[in-house]
Amino acid sequence: MSVQQTLCRLDEIEDGGSKGLWPDMRGRALVFAVRQGDRVRAFINVCPHYGRTRLGWKKDEFLNAGGDKIICSAHGALFEVDDGKCTLGPCLGQSLEKLATIVQGGNVVANLADLPDRRPEIRS
Amino acid sequence: MQIIGPDELVFGVDNVEACREFLLSFGLTETETGLFEALDKTGLRICAEDDPSLPAPLPTSTKLRQTVWGVADQVTLDQIEAELSKDRDVHKAEDGTLFCKDDLDFEIAFRVTRRIKLSLPAEMINSPGAKPGRGPNELGSNEDAEAKPRTLSHIVYFVPDMEKCSKFYTERLGFVVTDKFTNTGPFLRPQGNDDHHVFFMIQTPPYMQGIEHLAFHMKGPTELMLAGSRMVKKGFESFWGPGRHKFGSNWFWYFSSPMGVNCEFDADMDKHDGDWINRETELSAENSQMFLFENVEKWAPGGPPQVKK
Repeated sequence: MSVQQTLCRLDEIEDGGSKGLWPDMRGRALVFAVRQGDRVRAFINVCPHYGRTRLGWKKDEFLNAGGDKIICSAHGALFEVDDGKCTLGPCLGQSLEKLATIVQGGNVVANLADLPDRRPEIRS
Repeated sequence: MQIIGPDELVFGVDNVEACREFLLSFGLTETETGLFEALDKTGLRICAEDDPSLPAPLPTSTKLRQTVWGVADQVTLDQIEAELSKDRDVHKAEDGTLFCKDDLDFEIAFRVTRRIKLSLPAEMINSPGAKPGRGPNELGSNEDAEAKPRTLSHIVYFVPDMEKCSKFYTERLGFVVTDKFTNTGPFLRPQGNDDHHVFFMIQTPPYMQGIEHLAFHMKGPTELMLAGSRMVKKGFESFWGPGRHKFGSNWFWYFSSPMGVNCEFDADMDKHDGDWINRETELSAENSQMFLFENVEKWAPGGPPQVKK
């Protein structure tokens, strides 16, 4: 049986908003989630354009003004909230890596094995 | 042809308030609604994306709508008008500003520069063997110092055809190639500016066309570190840096922005004249920087061992 990991409480994500989660040792969010009502979709916080680019422009800011698209603030790529597919921008046609989550007892929960390593990355 | 550099970049954005928060934190001053200026009055104009006064957007994700180039004088403006009118419509506004498109359909404009001449001290350092930059009792560290961008330094475009783009700016507008990344793009400086580059381009597929980053010159490396550290502390997203580039030698620190473009603090860029022979190398992590650091939370070593809680 897989080990479950709580990422945050559902009410910590503003309805219609986004939140950075699962911070690494330097406090940088490795995952982010978008909430629409009781529905949460979570993604790995890496833009497919470059291997190491985090998407937001500020802590917890991952959406466009309308709140209907995920935006990478490095070069403006737009992604569908549903499936993370890039519809405009440098990574057109590619997708964010989706992270399976469930809402359980008011918490947003993922499988621990699916989550990125929180230790600072070692780069080649 | 005395073109000096970018005077103003015009953006059409979905989130004006977020851009305002970002640009004020970046150290620019909003001198009129939507106009965010550096100390010399170069800067960014932020408009709502549906503002009818804006030129049409490119069919990509870029929010850049227009690049306004500052030129030294009316003579240069007349030269540009004569040259570009040969093969395209050049619209002349009442105030003399010229509007047209470049060969890749970027909206461009030219005006007698609105930048003011700055007279400010550089970052001063003390170095053994050299005359001290700071005298006795003049301190180098001041955490409360202002850190305001001095001038809009350079812009970088993603372009679908770097040869075509480079030719337009060199052959038609007199820009000079200072260095080049093979198969990526050249660094350009106009004749009216001795900075290593005010313009660089990166070859990409057409669906990426737009602005890749923009940069402002800071007083020096210390002010750059101070400005960047303050951004990180406020929760803004560092994209790349701090570090020091090889081509141009400028220190850098890039931040992602709600304009969908990276905004760079830069400092201490090389200057060149006509004697300079440009270099060429492949674009790589090794070739694009001398070194790269990352901001970490403050920490200090002490004397005795830490007491376990």
